[in-house]
Amino acid sequence: MLDTAFEALKTFDWGSDLAALAPIEEAATASHGKPEARQDLENRLIAALKGTLTRDAQDYICRKLANVGTAAAVPTLAGLLLNKGNSHMSRFALEQIPAAEADQALRDALPKVSGDLKVGVISSIGARRDSAAVPALSSLLSDSDPAVARAAILALGAIGSVESAAALQTALRAAGDRRATMIDAVLKCAESLLASNQVATASSIYKAFTDESQPRIVRLAATRGLLACASQPAVRSI
Amino acid sequence: MSVIKKPTRRDFMKTTGAAFGVPYAITSAALGNSERPAASDRIVMGGIGIGNMGRGDQGAFLGRKDVQYVALSDVREEVRDKSKANVDRHYNNGDCKVYNDFRELLARTDIDAVHVATPDHWHAIMVIEACRNGKDVYCQKPETLTLREGPLMIAAARRYGRVVSGGSQRVLEDYRKYVAPAWAGEFGKIKSINVNVGPLPQLCNLPGETKSEAIDWDLWLGPAPWAPYNPKRCSGSFSINGASWRSFSDYSGGGMTDWGAHHFGGATFICDVRDQQPFEVNYFDDSNGKYLAYRYQNGLTIYHNKPKTDQLLIEGTPGEKLAPKPVPGYKGEGGIYGDFIECVKTREKPFRDIESAVNTAALAHLGNIAYQLKRSLKWDSVKQEFVGDAEANRMTDRARREPWQL
Repeated sequence: MLDTAFEALKTFDWGSDLAALAPIEEAATASHGKPEARQDLENRLIAALKGTLTRDAQDYICRKLANVGTAAAVPTLAGLLLNKGNSHMSRFALEQIPAAEADQALRDALPKVSGDLKVGVISSIGARRDSAAVPALSSLLSDSDPAVARAAILALGAIGSVESAAALQTALRAAGDRRATMIDAVLKCAESLLASNQVATASSIYKAFTDESQPRIVRLAATRGLLACASQPAVRSI
Repeated sequence: MSVIKKPTRRDFMKTTGAAFGVPYAITSAALGNSERPAASDRIVMGGIGIGNMGRGDQGAFLGRKDVQYVALSDVREEVRDKSKANVDRHYNNGDCKVYNDFRELLARTDIDAVHVATPDHWHAIMVIEACRNGKDVYCQKPETLTLREGPLMIAAARRYGRVVSGGSQRVLEDYRKYVAPAWAGEFGKIKSINVNVGPLPQLCNLPGETKSEAIDWDLWLGPAPWAPYNPKRCSGSFSINGASWRSFSDYSGGGMTDWGAHHFGGATFICDVRDQQPFEVNYFDDSNGKYLAYRYQNGLTIYHNKPKTDQLLIEGTPGEKLAPKPVPGYKGEGGIYGDFIECVKTREKPFRDIESAVNTAALAHLGNIAYQLKRSLKWDSVKQEFVGDAEANRMTDRARREPWQL
């Protein structure tokens, strides 16, 4: 049955009957807790992805690798990251693969892509909260492509670490019309830091945005953050 | 003694407008009368996604005297034209501005609030962006497409102190015959309740067709995987069986989320757990069929599709009666829309505050994942992750198509 499904995948395209691929779906579920069966399925998916397939079939495989892929699938997916027609679905898989190789593949792709594809790679790095990517993302805060710079801002906000907050705060001085997005990202960092009990750091970030020079909505957000910091048990006991 | 006049919301806008030399013509309509608040006291609104539910939402807000509806955005030209005509006819002017790209609408500083009724795959991006732009939001249900989106939407709303209401008027209005006795304590401690809803979402593999309408297809798809145009793929009809986007997993959680927003919402309201998420989802597949049991920390079980069990069948504690509690309801007048507008004015939380809306949608998402994996799952609602199940955790979110990002 599984052989038949992979055979069907070779000619699968928009409008094809999805039922022909049902054995692949079933194998993905049934191989849970069965390493050999799971590895066999992944190997078949990778091999198929290396072949000549329609975009729809490639997309389907990426969807499955998002569920069952491991570091073994990363090199093949990494190659697709650079193709306009495949980059998103490559990320669809890579973003979910719990392996350091996936982070590395995304970081490696950064200097090789531009425009929307770069924005996509950055967004996946942010979604994975890859702290090792902070230096690379920081260097993109002043990118000449506003969409790339914005993506880097949002990704650093999603990472939410001390380092990402510091990078954003430094860049804030020359933020120009990206200032509001950058402040939003810094505030998001403060929320992450507060959630991880780094109250003093979060508090110092919030304090920087409470002065009268800040837009009202930012001052209110910072004040709310300070109140949240003050309500932390460690602070209350001081 | 000097009297300090409380500034209106629009005072700020007027001041800002004057500073930039914007002409401000005072019309009789702007001054208001006994029937209608002055322009300075109206909520200035725009809408995003005006087909189907969006059209209904627009009508509801347009009909309110305390709302000034000034702009709309839709990726369909025909929808934009008809909706603008509708608004302009209502105000007897030609002022309503239309946008293909919602970001232009959200960037307007004169708009206080927006309603969002796009397909579900857009909700999180739009709600978060609206909050960043200082807008209050009424977002149609189901509010989320993935588990990860919910906390991000709540955080954005709380960060900027925004009023963000989910949709579903049914949660309060359709289940009164259960809510009233439940909150009156007549069932005693509720042990379980059953929700029958579905189906699950399906992957869409419809073939491409020649576009039969003027639609910005790339923008309709937005963060979803690229796919060729097909009218059934993007139809906003209420079908959940393959004839609209509501059926397909790239855009919706299927019937589980689409009707689940109502029925799970009703069940959690009846049982007073709208502020919680379950810690476990048990999956059953026996001779009677497949069904789920969501377990809550307070001992409650919400069943999904329990065989041979009626919709919202409640198992209470016979012979026990609990102390009655006041039943929450809408604020203001005009149903769920009035509730939202009243909260925009008072800054209170609406009945379908984004947090309870997200908790309801989470039930549907957790269920979809359990059915897909065919196994029981433990859920840490604080960390928002499955416990000891890396595969399930892969399904809490999905990569968005470039250039869209949360």
